[in-house]
Amino acid sequence: MATSHAGPRWWTASTLGGTVCAFIAAILPLAGNPVWEWRSEWSLGGEQVLLRLDEIGAFFLLLLCVVGMAGAVYSREYWNGTAHPRSARRGRLWWNAMLLSMGLVLTVGNGLHFLLAWEIFAVSAYFLVTLDRENPDVRTAGWVYLAASHLGTLALFAFFAALAGHTGSWELGPMRHIPALAPFYWLALLGFGIKAGIFPLHIWLPSAHANAPSHVSALMSGVAIKMGIFGLVRFGSWLPLPAAAGWAVAGLGCASAVLGVAFALGQHDLKRLLAYHSVENIGIILIGLGFAMIAVDQGRPEWGILALAGGLLHVWNHGLFKALLFLGAGSVLHATGTREMSRLGGLWRPMPWTAGFFTLGAMAICGLPPLNGFVSEWLVFSGLFDAARHQTDAVLAAVPAAILLGATGALALACFIKVCGVVFLGAPRTESAHKAHECGPAMRGAMAALAAGCIAIGLAPALLWPALLRVAKAWFGADEGMAAANRLVPLGAAHLCIALLALAVAALTVRSLRARTARAVTWDCGYAIPTARMQYTAESFAGIITGWFTWILRPVVHAGLPEGFFPTRAHRASHTPETVLERIVRPCALAILKISDLARGFQQGRTQAYIFYLCAALLALALAVFPGGGLKP
Amino acid sequence: MSVFIDTSLRLLAWLILAPLLPGVINKVKAWVAGRQGPPVLQLYYDLARLWRKGVVISTLASPGFIIAPAVAWVAVIGAAALLPLAGADAPVSFDGDVLLLVYLLALARFCTAWGAMETGSAFEGMGAAREVSYAILAEVGIITAILTLAVQSGSISLSSMFEPLPGPSAALLAVGLFIILLAENCRVPFDDPNTHLELTMIHEVMVLDHSGPPLAMILHGASVKLMLFAVFLAQAVLPLSEVPLVMSLALLALAVLLVAVAVGLVESLTARLAFRRVPLLLTIGFLFCLFPLLLTWMGEI
Repeated sequence: MATSHAGPRWWTASTLGGTVCAFIAAILPLAGNPVWEWRSEWSLGGEQVLLRLDEIGAFFLLLLCVVGMAGAVYSREYWNGTAHPRSARRGRLWWNAMLLSMGLVLTVGNGLHFLLAWEIFAVSAYFLVTLDRENPDVRTAGWVYLAASHLGTLALFAFFAALAGHTGSWELGPMRHIPALAPFYWLALLGFGIKAGIFPLHIWLPSAHANAPSHVSALMSGVAIKMGIFGLVRFGSWLPLPAAAGWAVAGLGCASAVLGVAFALGQHDLKRLLAYHSVENIGIILIGLGFAMIAVDQGRPEWGILALAGGLLHVWNHGLFKALLFLGAGSVLHATGTREMSRLGGLWRPMPWTAGFFTLGAMAICGLPPLNGFVSEWLVFSGLFDAARHQTDAVLAAVPAAILLGATGALALACFIKVCGVVFLGAPRTESAHKAHECGPAMRGAMAALAAGCIAIGLAPALLWPALLRVAKAWFGADEGMAAANRLVPLGAAHLCIALLALAVAALTVRSLRARTARAVTWDCGYAIPTARMQYTAESFAGIITGWFTWILRPVVHAGLPEGFFPTRAHRASHTPETVLERIVRPCALAILKISDLARGFQQGRTQAYIFYLCAALLALALAVFPGGGLKP
Repeated sequence: MSVFIDTSLRLLAWLILAPLLPGVINKVKAWVAGRQGPPVLQLYYDLARLWRKGVVISTLASPGFIIAPAVAWVAVIGAAALLPLAGADAPVSFDGDVLLLVYLLALARFCTAWGAMETGSAFEGMGAAREVSYAILAEVGIITAILTLAVQSGSISLSSMFEPLPGPSAALLAVGLFIILLAENCRVPFDDPNTHLELTMIHEVMVLDHSGPPLAMILHGASVKLMLFAVFLAQAVLPLSEVPLVMSLALLALAVLLVAVAVGLVESLTARLAFRRVPLLLTIGFLFCLFPLLLTWMGEI
């Protein structure tokens, strides 16, 4: 943080150095080393500072380091001092503040300090989102984020205060033995759920992710919302859980998964679309976590561990591929100056690297083998199928959850075919798309590192199983029934076979056809003069599916249809607003404002009126006191 | 070594036998219409001819246009290799391989739709949009069918999940899977494989601009996919694991042939569905898969 003013080169070096150190520190507990603890001699706010890096914290810290590094490298080129003279330095400062505060959130073992770190994290995220604060959209997005985030913090204040009240100390640790604490998990669900972007609480997420600079979006979507998941995971293991908590979390997960991707399909703004996919993937993570909670409740850890491992691995996977996708979207924005998909097209030619990396991320997020997204979805699926086939009591939830998870995968595939097809394939729709250029080596390098992570987890998932098992054991807090065999070994082998075969066949085909390939205009059933504007648009591509979801998407259409015998210009535009924000939160907020307006009538700045209020209040007090027998001594 | 031979034999069977099915279907259609029809081996001739031809690709297309059909073909073959054939277990088998099968088919779908978007043609974009949209409902049906089999057999590995279902469940599941088979393989009433120039089609329109060996890969992959669904349907419904190996293989072949004949009959006797009805029929297919699930599950409570 100190080097953020000393010049970008020093800043990059020190940020990388810091994150590498944290990375190594995070690997240790996951590799089986004992939990690291440090207690300060001095105190902050009347409490000793306690830092503790256990398996769960280290698991999230690892992701934080990877995305933090990639984003720092990327931002050197993307948000450099020449293009953004006023905000580049500010961006570097808040970037490190955010990394540091998130690291603290993951490690502090004291409720008071957790709240402090949480608040610094929220505020630094706000400053990062609003780096480009000349733009009114950015300011609005930042404001909504700040308001929503503080609502969550308010719930967390109540939560931690309640914990401290019941245990008599701000220190955090396993408290399963105090059953009175169970109801407070709902408070945690609200507070952490807002940060995670669970479905009805996600109102801040799309606009904040879309309007932030892309490396910030990557950090927000890849890591920051995972802090909410971290809270739910951590306190899901420390608190005694109410019986319904698992069902609620899994239900919210299903809703987030399906509706998140449905909203994504309705978007035309590239980054906003990606933001809604974060809601979807948070849903998948929550399905895994929710079923782990149900398993704890029913004392059946053998399938709960699969669901939990899947959910946790999806935390990593989503962090990797979503950061990759946001960085790719940032390159597109950088090269063309627009996020509007209907103004793009044919970008694979000027920017082949970005197109390749973005497509890889897209295939990973759709859960296609042999990439990492499939591994975690497969684990969650296995947990659900195990719950169903062993006829446990959870089958009532597992069957619909499995079906909805399958639907989510297919919906995500439709959405990303739309994105890749409209943005990177076909013909450029506008001049700016035509003149696009590939991004520089730093931006490409950051994307390549994340893409390599996606491929590595996809091809060698079995290597991660011991770490996942360790985290899951720490979460369940027990060892019995935990001798789960490494089911990822055959899957990894199958992935490797498929990947090698596909590579070989593709290479052979390309080589053997090189000599006998001719180029011609798209045949298109003989249509002679196709223009770029006649290509299928993002809106029409998603039209069938958004039609099924109109009940919640509520798209707004502005159209001027051709009329009369000699019609002049016609136009049609549609957009899908954020339904929860527009239809529920905004009317409620307006109603509160209206009610508050009534109170304004009392305040009109006339001294006589205020004196009258004083007298009236005194009289009222007197009337209240004297009939009761006067003041008692 | 024996594993190696077993795998190669199995792959060869899939690769060589699959193009028979479209031939059988066309023969049945010709027979119902009172025509002579193309020979049963027509697809083999087509494939051989396409394989020798050159390729014409759109000026807009990226290298992905050639790579995508190859990857899709590998994905479909990989999915087929995971399926056991009657009593003969698959060479690779592990818990959860059935999900790998479903997602390999999704990978193939991604590649085909990708290839369609390459050309910048509104026509092909339309086909891709329909393919991925209807696939959602089909996928929901497949997952439900798999859940039924998993609950019945207590297994999520393809080699042991095909346990005989009780009669009514088997009948319902057969209808449900048959509807999904028709949708996933783009047959009537969802799509008409005979037309090239109609606004209502799905699969054919996605591959309009493909030619030469990539088109051969697409056509061959489509026939393997059809056979995959037929084999899945036959094993899910018939109690093949209870008869000796040779007998069960013969039964399986007969059942797959029957499915092809049924597809041909449906194609001859029904018209293609109006487009807005397609989701309705797919939902019916899903319900046909859901009822056996409920029956199996409630039957044991």
